[in-house]
Amino acid sequence: MNLLASEGSQPQALLALEDGTCFYGRACGAMGEAFGEVVFNTSMVGYQEIVTDPSYAGQIVTLTYPQVGNYGVSQEALQSDGTALRGLVVRDMCRTPSNWQSVGSFPAFLRDHGVVAIEGVDTRALTLRIRSAGAMRAAISTVDLSPESLVARVAASPVISAHNFVADVSPREERVIPALSDALRARKEAGRPALRVVAYDCGEKRGIEEGLAAVGCEVVAVPFDTPAARVRSLEPDGVFFSNGPGDPRQVTQTARAALDLLGTVPVFGICLGNQIMAMATGADIEKLPFGHHGGNEPVMNLLTRKVEITAQNHNYGLVFDSMGPLVPELSGGEAAHVRDLRHWVERGIAPVVQTPRLGRVRLTHVNLNDGTPEGIQFLDLPAFSVQYHPEACPGPHDARYLFQAFVRLMDMWREGGDGASVSHDYLSIDVREGRPHHAEA
Amino acid sequence: MPRRDDLHKILILGSGPIVIGQACEFDYSGTQACQALRRAGYEVVLVNSNPATIMTDPETADRTYVEPITADTVTSVIERERPDALLPNMGGQTALNCAIALGEAGVLERFDVEVIGCDLDSIRVGEDRELFAAAMRDIGLEVAASGFAHTLDEARAIADDLGYPVVIRPSFTLGGAGGGIAHSKRELDQIASQGLALSPTTEVLVEQSIEGWKEIEMEVMRDAAGNGIVICSIENLDPMGVHTGDSITVAPAQTLSDDELQRLRNYSLACLERVGVATGGSNVQFAVNPTDGRVIVIEMNPRVSRSSALASKATGFPIAKAAALLAVGYTLDEIVNDITRVTPACFEPSLDYCVVKVPRFTFEKFKGTSEVLTTRMKSVGEVMAIGCTFEEALQKALRSLEDGHTGLGADGTATFDEERFDELVALPTPERIFYVAEALRRGWSVRRVAKATGIDPWYLHRIADIVAAEATIHRLGLDGMDRDHLLAAKQLGFSDAQIGWLCGCKEEVVRAVRKVLGVIPQVKTIDTCAGEFAAQTNYHYLTYEDGGATEHVEAARPRAIILSAGPNRIGQGIEFDYCCVHAAYALHDKGYETVMVNCNPETVSTDYDTSDRLYFEPLTFEDVMNVVEIEQPEGVIVTLGGQTPIKLARLLEEAGVPLMGTGSDAIDLAEDRDRFSALLDHLEVAYPPSSVAATTEEAQRVARSVGYPLIVRPSYVLGGRGMAIVYGPDELASYMAEAARVTPDHPVYLDAFLEDAIELDVDALCDGTSCYVGAVLEHIEECGIHSGDSACCYPPFSLSDTLVQNVRDITHRLALACGIRGLLNVQFAVKDEQIFVIELNPRASRTVPFSSKASGVPLAKLAARVMAGETLASLPVPPEEREASYYAVKEAVMPWARFPGSDVRLGPEMKSTGEVMGVGASFPVAYAKTREAIDYEMPAEGTVFISVRDADKRAIAPVAFSLAQMGYRILATRGTAKTLRAAGIACEVTKRVGEGHPNVHDVLSAGGISFIINTPHGHDSHGDGALLRSEAASRGITNVTTLSGATALLQSLAVLRGGRLSVCALQDLAQQSSGRD
Repeated sequence: MNLLASEGSQPQALLALEDGTCFYGRACGAMGEAFGEVVFNTSMVGYQEIVTDPSYAGQIVTLTYPQVGNYGVSQEALQSDGTALRGLVVRDMCRTPSNWQSVGSFPAFLRDHGVVAIEGVDTRALTLRIRSAGAMRAAISTVDLSPESLVARVAASPVISAHNFVADVSPREERVIPALSDALRARKEAGRPALRVVAYDCGEKRGIEEGLAAVGCEVVAVPFDTPAARVRSLEPDGVFFSNGPGDPRQVTQTARAALDLLGTVPVFGICLGNQIMAMATGADIEKLPFGHHGGNEPVMNLLTRKVEITAQNHNYGLVFDSMGPLVPELSGGEAAHVRDLRHWVERGIAPVVQTPRLGRVRLTHVNLNDGTPEGIQFLDLPAFSVQYHPEACPGPHDARYLFQAFVRLMDMWREGGDGASVSHDYLSIDVREGRPHHAEA
Repeated sequence: MPRRDDLHKILILGSGPIVIGQACEFDYSGTQACQALRRAGYEVVLVNSNPATIMTDPETADRTYVEPITADTVTSVIERERPDALLPNMGGQTALNCAIALGEAGVLERFDVEVIGCDLDSIRVGEDRELFAAAMRDIGLEVAASGFAHTLDEARAIADDLGYPVVIRPSFTLGGAGGGIAHSKRELDQIASQGLALSPTTEVLVEQSIEGWKEIEMEVMRDAAGNGIVICSIENLDPMGVHTGDSITVAPAQTLSDDELQRLRNYSLACLERVGVATGGSNVQFAVNPTDGRVIVIEMNPRVSRSSALASKATGFPIAKAAALLAVGYTLDEIVNDITRVTPACFEPSLDYCVVKVPRFTFEKFKGTSEVLTTRMKSVGEVMAIGCTFEEALQKALRSLEDGHTGLGADGTATFDEERFDELVALPTPERIFYVAEALRRGWSVRRVAKATGIDPWYLHRIADIVAAEATIHRLGLDGMDRDHLLAAKQLGFSDAQIGWLCGCKEEVVRAVRKVLGVIPQVKTIDTCAGEFAAQTNYHYLTYEDGGATEHVEAARPRAIILSAGPNRIGQGIEFDYCCVHAAYALHDKGYETVMVNCNPETVSTDYDTSDRLYFEPLTFEDVMNVVEIEQPEGVIVTLGGQTPIKLARLLEEAGVPLMGTGSDAIDLAEDRDRFSALLDHLEVAYPPSSVAATTEEAQRVARSVGYPLIVRPSYVLGGRGMAIVYGPDELASYMAEAARVTPDHPVYLDAFLEDAIELDVDALCDGTSCYVGAVLEHIEECGIHSGDSACCYPPFSLSDTLVQNVRDITHRLALACGIRGLLNVQFAVKDEQIFVIELNPRASRTVPFSSKASGVPLAKLAARVMAGETLASLPVPPEEREASYYAVKEAVMPWARFPGSDVRLGPEMKSTGEVMGVGASFPVAYAKTREAIDYEMPAEGTVFISVRDADKRAIAPVAFSLAQMGYRILATRGTAKTLRAAGIACEVTKRVGEGHPNVHDVLSAGGISFIINTPHGHDSHGDGALLRSEAASRGITNVTTLSGATALLQSLAVLRGGRLSVCALQDLAQQSSGRD
């Protein structure tokens, strides 16, 4: 809100970055201090989904769209019961929202949830700084307004990779999310039974649970450190590894469970789940300079050659060439890895690697902006995963088909009974079929 | 899918002349398409009748046909050029209609021409109400329910079915007359019975009312592989009920949640799939119920549009260029994002700023017509502004309009109709936004304003913030504001002028204080990706941020700033933008870093490809100075963008800014009547007796000495704004009463009006030591008709070589005496072989594009080079005096049908929106082509109604005689009939309107008249003539209001009887003219 239009005076706030850059602004959330890793998100809407996304634990999020809070907050937009991020940086915060679904203002929501937030910051300048210097430690304070002091304290704060944030956001208890009755009815009419999915909840977004429920899955969400034996005892049709915050290398126990479960049951992973499944194969994980956070990342499905516009939120990613050597006969005759995976887009080939533990894995999805891997499919066992967010929330719905693909995989598995008979075409769904467009959606 | 190698030659259709609803955005898109396809290795053939476009420059396409976009003409072009494919989705509805006609006539099949970029069947589904509704229902989307009724009972039944309120739209009535919203059965009975009575087909459409719903547009693209992306969402500030072209619109949408937006995204992509858009850009419009989020599809346009041009400028994503490439087989992922150059075009732009578009109206030119905005578009142009917030962008846009406002009020310019205040808050008019702000200023609650207007409370709260800030600024005063306060004011978009007005000090003082405090704007970049990737282009806007982070990059080469023309309006349109674009090309080639400043999103000048750097900023002194201070140019060009930059010349010079070319003193010399008259006297050049008056008394005194009729006008205007011919003291008195309001600081000019003189337009170049006349144009209509509304011909067709040589000589002497460096335009009147100078414009004129194309001399480019210091002697120009073996005619296009109630006649005030060009071996052939290009009905038979003023009675006989010879029946009023019969021409007599029934109006209404020749006497604007002209305009019947026009029309009718006219490419014209010496 603009200084000249605000009636009361807003307390000053300071944003300080590890590299010494400082921005003065005004407080627009809870009072206090927040230390975390500063990243930017380029989605133009969906601020409430972003702040309630558990994957942002440990981070200070900068929204690149300048005017935030325009349509208020609603129950429907929540991605979890609370907020997990450390702080929020915006250019201009709206205190007088307007939308039929709004039940309150966004700054009030932030205050109620204890999120420290700052407005009046040149968020574009900040974004360009992060783009060139990479994601870095930062702090927002309404208490310590001395740049020297705050920068020094930022420099002394822990780095994000030092802590297991998944343990903070993963629930302690198991819980059950029922399938949507419409979807169940449709499955029944098609002569198919209800499906049970056990989801490793590492900070699972509500949108994912809704996505699974909408295709007829009952979801049993379990804590991130649940042993594989417990999962088996729930007799799932499929296992899901969710999104979550921080460095995946902090959640080795989940990766161990994944290794245990892969091959015995259909598995699907999103974001952190994708990284965990890659770690199970023995692959390396890398940290991207400033990650992908936004709703406009183009990803090509190499199997259909269709581009989907995807929602993304990750700082870490798997290193495709670390998964194993290429299988030339399944990779267009090529044996040498290339770093920029857009090579495979140009060649029109979905290359396959031989992993040391889990058989052959195919690269199925590639980010067209920077050539990073976005999705893999296990060829010798029923599993696939993607780095991005098919549930969107916020973002485009193009990748919703992946929930369908998971159901197809589980159905094939049920009907076929073993890995050898599962065909690999379950991922070959046209984006257009997956996109909900009917008025009731 | 890669580039198609089976295609080689592609035919692109333009959109023809600028008309309301179809303006220069199609030049922008068509130019992009031509350039993209040529770069991809295709040969491009273009047909477009509009000479003022960049796309019709001989360099843009391989083969350029400035010919009518009619099925017949395009068939001739196809016959000659034998293209492999036709790309019809770049030229608006005109091109699509032509493509459909070609398809239906079997031409495409006969010559094996493939339609690319769209599918003719899908165009039909997009346009046909019933087919579209069915298609949308197929995919589960709702459309506004409606039904046609032919009786009151039918209307009642439909309304009962739909539920009240309902909208009633009578079919085929003028401007939707007789329609309205019925909230009850009683209102329905009243409105529907009236509508049924007024409709010529006794038919009304009864439609579910969605007025007051949010109006959202989605700009969507699709490729042949089925990939779909949304480029931009656009929200209309004005709710449903106002045409989107007349609405203030905002990008991206501001009041929708992610869930709501993604639903619209899904619907838009599904809509494209269902309608069957093969490739390219489309626009899908939705209405969203603000109380429950319910969505209704309004329409979709399967082509590039005004909105897609806006979306391109708003996001940096070149929709038309991409659409052209998609049409030849590329997929979105194969096209590179121009701005980042490392990412593909297959993505959705993310904005980190707000864009506001505000339409520009010219109701003042069409007195008598209603200013209420409806679903029929009436604006003639638009501005776009970019700011960090909506508030900043809105205020920047409002000061970009150049209609006196320096923002959203708080500038002393507002006058409100107190009696109708409440009503004018509620009614959508061009002024409504100011009434809304004023209502909030007067203490109306946001709730109350929202209820009255239907505008979403979010926007009203933002406006309320601006209004609250006004009060704070006023309270604090300039002394009371610290750095943070001033920064906050600038962040809300307040101009220095507004702050000065609120604080009681001058704009210059605010500027000085601001700079001392370090409150200066920062350069930001439009990069399509909100900063995620580095931008490789210099597409900028300015905004105010704390911290001083600028994205300005020092240029190695010297900078030349070109100020363009701002919003299109009548009198200042695309022609000036054309000149600026040429200057950018020429100066870039000369080694300059060219810097364009403009705020018009429709134009080629605001394509970031046109200049090296683009600042999308208002053309006010403050905003231009900001760019100047950032770029530190070697010079600023003010003489190519029409009156807009000319007005800034003196201020800029006073601020120490170097102007390139003609300086402000030369401008003043030409524009100051006293100084200019003194110069003409000194040079012994004749001009009509004239004088100046500041009061009515003075004017009457002057009139007595100069003599009536007089041509009167305020000083410093373009397009003849406020200009009139007065025939006596009473008219003069009433004119003076109104003129005082036009420009209070400036007096009124009174010139003797040379009746029946021939008018000439001369475009010339001068370098200070020599002058070159590029073209002498002879007007068809006589003096007194604004030169912008008059048809003209190159070369002159009725003047002797000696006379033309004299005109050139006078032009040379004037140009040198004024000290022009660059372009100039001189208007002459020739009466009885005597040459009078009417005026000299020390700048590029409206006719420069036409003159350049007709003569083959690129005047604007050469002017830029002269301004940059080259001499005429060193430039490659053909001799002034040379023989042309062809004639080129320019004809003006009038917007009468859009403004019911205003008088449909030509006069000294310009009213045309655009122009067309025709080229032929003779004047009549060229003129006939312009008639076809404008789509005037040219009936080959039927009845001609003739009614002329006394002065024309002698001259009408030969015209009528020829018409009779050609087989037309002639109908005349009693007076004219007497003259005709005396000349031995058979004719029927009809009653005047006042003489009872059946009269001429009855005959016209019954469809019994093919065209009309009706020359009005000076002050007859409310009589019979006005009524007939208005009725003819609404029925699309040709109506000639000058005798010279009638003669030209007659000649062209004769030519058209000879069959289809041959076509000629511009590239071949050069060979047809040769130097005489």
